[in-house]
Amino acid sequence: MPSAQANSAGESPSPADRARSALVEIRDVRKIFGATHALKGVSFEIRPGETLGLLGANGAGKSTLIKILAGIHPPTSGQILIEGRDVAFGFPDDARNAGIATVHQNIDDGVVFGMSVAENLLLDEIAKPGSAVFLNQRQVLRRAEAIQEKLELDLPLAAPVEDLSASRRQEVAIARELAKQPKLLILDEPTSTLSERETEKLFDAVRDMKKRGISILYITHRMSEVDLLCDRAVVLRNGSIVSQHDAPMDTRAIASSILGELVIATQHKSRAGGDAVLEASNVRSKAEAPPIDFTLKRGEVVGLTGLIGAGKTELLEQICGHRPMVAGEMVLDGRPYAPKDAADAMAKGVVMVPEERALQSIFPGDRLWKHCSVGVMGHFSRLGFMDRRNEVSFTEAVIDDYRVVAPGATAAIEELSGGNQQKLLVGRWLRQTWSVVVLDEPFRGIDIGARGLISQALRDYSERAPVLICSSDPEEVLEVADRVMIMVEGQIVHEDRAESLDAESLAEIMSHGSREAAGARPEMRAQ
Amino acid sequence: MTIESTEKPAETERQVASSPAGPTWLEQAKVLTYKYGLLAVLFGLIGYFSATQPFFGTFINAMFVLQAASIVAVIGLGCTVSMTVGGFDLSVGSAMSLSIMAAAAAMVVGNLGGVEAILIGIAAGLAVGLFNSFLIVVARIPDLVATLSTLFLINGLTLLGVNGQSVAEGMVFRGQATTGEFSPIFKWLGSGQVLGVPSSVIVAAVVFLTVFVLLNYTRWGRAFYAVGGNPIAAAAAGIRVARYRVVAYLISGGLSAIAGLMLAARSNRGDVNVGDPFLLQAVSAALVGYAVLGANRANAFGTLIGAIFVAVLINGLTMFNFPYYAQTFVQGLLLVIALLMSYTLGPNRR
Repeated sequence: MPSAQANSAGESPSPADRARSALVEIRDVRKIFGATHALKGVSFEIRPGETLGLLGANGAGKSTLIKILAGIHPPTSGQILIEGRDVAFGFPDDARNAGIATVHQNIDDGVVFGMSVAENLLLDEIAKPGSAVFLNQRQVLRRAEAIQEKLELDLPLAAPVEDLSASRRQEVAIARELAKQPKLLILDEPTSTLSERETEKLFDAVRDMKKRGISILYITHRMSEVDLLCDRAVVLRNGSIVSQHDAPMDTRAIASSILGELVIATQHKSRAGGDAVLEASNVRSKAEAPPIDFTLKRGEVVGLTGLIGAGKTELLEQICGHRPMVAGEMVLDGRPYAPKDAADAMAKGVVMVPEERALQSIFPGDRLWKHCSVGVMGHFSRLGFMDRRNEVSFTEAVIDDYRVVAPGATAAIEELSGGNQQKLLVGRWLRQTWSVVVLDEPFRGIDIGARGLISQALRDYSERAPVLICSSDPEEVLEVADRVMIMVEGQIVHEDRAESLDAESLAEIMSHGSREAAGARPEMRAQ
Repeated sequence: MTIESTEKPAETERQVASSPAGPTWLEQAKVLTYKYGLLAVLFGLIGYFSATQPFFGTFINAMFVLQAASIVAVIGLGCTVSMTVGGFDLSVGSAMSLSIMAAAAAMVVGNLGGVEAILIGIAAGLAVGLFNSFLIVVARIPDLVATLSTLFLINGLTLLGVNGQSVAEGMVFRGQATTGEFSPIFKWLGSGQVLGVPSSVIVAAVVFLTVFVLLNYTRWGRAFYAVGGNPIAAAAAGIRVARYRVVAYLISGGLSAIAGLMLAARSNRGDVNVGDPFLLQAVSAALVGYAVLGANRANAFGTLIGAIFVAVLINGLTMFNFPYYAQTFVQGLLLVIALLMSYTLGPNRR
């Protein structure tokens, strides 16, 4: 038996013993939203000075738990004890005063644009009732410098926060929380939008915080991060803690615990690909980037990988008409192809699943069947009149085919977890006929189960039309692609069959190719 | 490879867990109020007025009410269309004034016939819509401020065009007596009847049905809502966002013009800036419409109900000798209640 101990919740030492050793104890916390039981009696403790990993699939209840700890939602029932004292959070301030600081997943939720880095660091003080009405800029700067010195940072304090890269903005958000000298810092998927190099820096920061004796609750989807950083890990599934693990982590046991069954690592043979469908020559990701050529063939999935800011998204968006072409020519099915806009690209058979789901794919409050027909309304209408029954049955087919967990085709999109939204948004295109299917970071923030399912669906679809996937995570690319292209600073520096590559060598090429450029512009990043 | 949906068990458990308890009666009452509250109040009012005022429930009075609602309904439906694309048209009142002046002047000063006058009036409204589209889509000025500037520009233009005078038969224009008359076809718009139903009610009904079908049953209507819901996602899904915005503002301007013609035909004159108060009436009808059947967004049926609701209230309260100057207060009260229903009782999303 590996280090997993199933269901430790009820059968640990007596509550009194635990209270003495625990910094934070969560006792039988339940949360009910309408008819949904998001948390069904969760109990675990966070010990002083430890880094505790919190893992779980999409919809397992992680976000709900974090929101309860951060004081955003009150629990329906149950207790939270901090150093043995029962605390009841009604507002985020209560949690803060009790020593719990939270850095949310979306970095830009943690900083205020239009303010300087120094002002951002002192935001809570500035916002506090009773603080000075007029800000003395010099004083703000001086106080921010003091914080900076204590935390050993080197942030450009006078710069507007929007001029910073994502990882620097995250540093600001974390520094602000640390300035309050919290007992517990909650980091919610802190690496989900960071590049490899930025991730390394974050890890150093986390280790540093640990040295200072701060407890950390670290939420992530990535097994490697748990192994690297965490002393212990708890796994949440369907609103309950299903297992607890100690370092060294048995990542396989954790993975199966997350999914509720054993997953077999995806192994597939690289396929050679058939006839060329899309041929691009002398295209550029950006005006200043070098010209590149590539071909997409029927019968293969091509993975485009590279660090954030390498120019992947820019290239994909040009292929799909989401932004004007910078340079070069493309040929689609033997005919010249230069899409004017997304509508034109889709009419010619090129469709895209964009990177930012909430921003670029979701219509707030709209039902699932509207999301399934929106790009292809012509297929569901006669003389302009929509055939609603057809839309609904199509949506039901998508739900069935891609095992989308949803109350039904008439549910609102917000009722689905992120992974299920993504299954629907990818699946709706895959039930249509296209010449080329392009996906930008399709696996971001979704669990392994959904990821495996989407990967398989894409590999199946590639028999009919080439599939191009872009991801900055080497493992994701290797899991789905037959052929991998690595982009560094807009240049395709390496191209190979997936089976002759591994994640480490990919990561090395990705960062090695950019090292010289990185020296000149250390924080280069696409806007 | 084995891939099992990881979240399926959650679903079954969730159903099991929710079936014995179910939502509380309070939650159910909330949902019912959210969906049917406003319609229930409307029918309650109609029932009460009919029971207490013998004249209220008659066919003739019903036509009075609908006639009173018709102009606000038409212009409100224009606002509704601009709201579906996420816009907001503050210039509907001035578009209305412009079309009134254009049509009236065409007949009185220009000696033109009724059909020409109607076409000129509608063209004037469409021109306002086109100008708005230019400011919003091409010049990229935010909807609210763009249409606000249009409001002033068009009001000013209307005043300049008629030297600040009202246009009526026999007026003196630039020192000369005019001989033109309001044509009978035009007058029919205001005072005609078919089987006892006033022509303005018929026009409003046709406009309502057209907008209702357009927004709810056609792909174009779906695209309007998609553009309003998330323009970035709409563009990514292959919807030509700019085109739908332009069309929405054209419809808004065109319907304002039709409402203007209905008003001018009723009074048989073109008064200066007579469209101004209709902006707020129309916007409030469209906003009250958010609360009808739990739509929580601009919708044609809701706007119609919003317009009728106000007309019923005013008609009924007048019978109770409610002072006319209390009308504004009553309208405000209705709007607040409707907004409470759609925003406060509405489903709060996690």
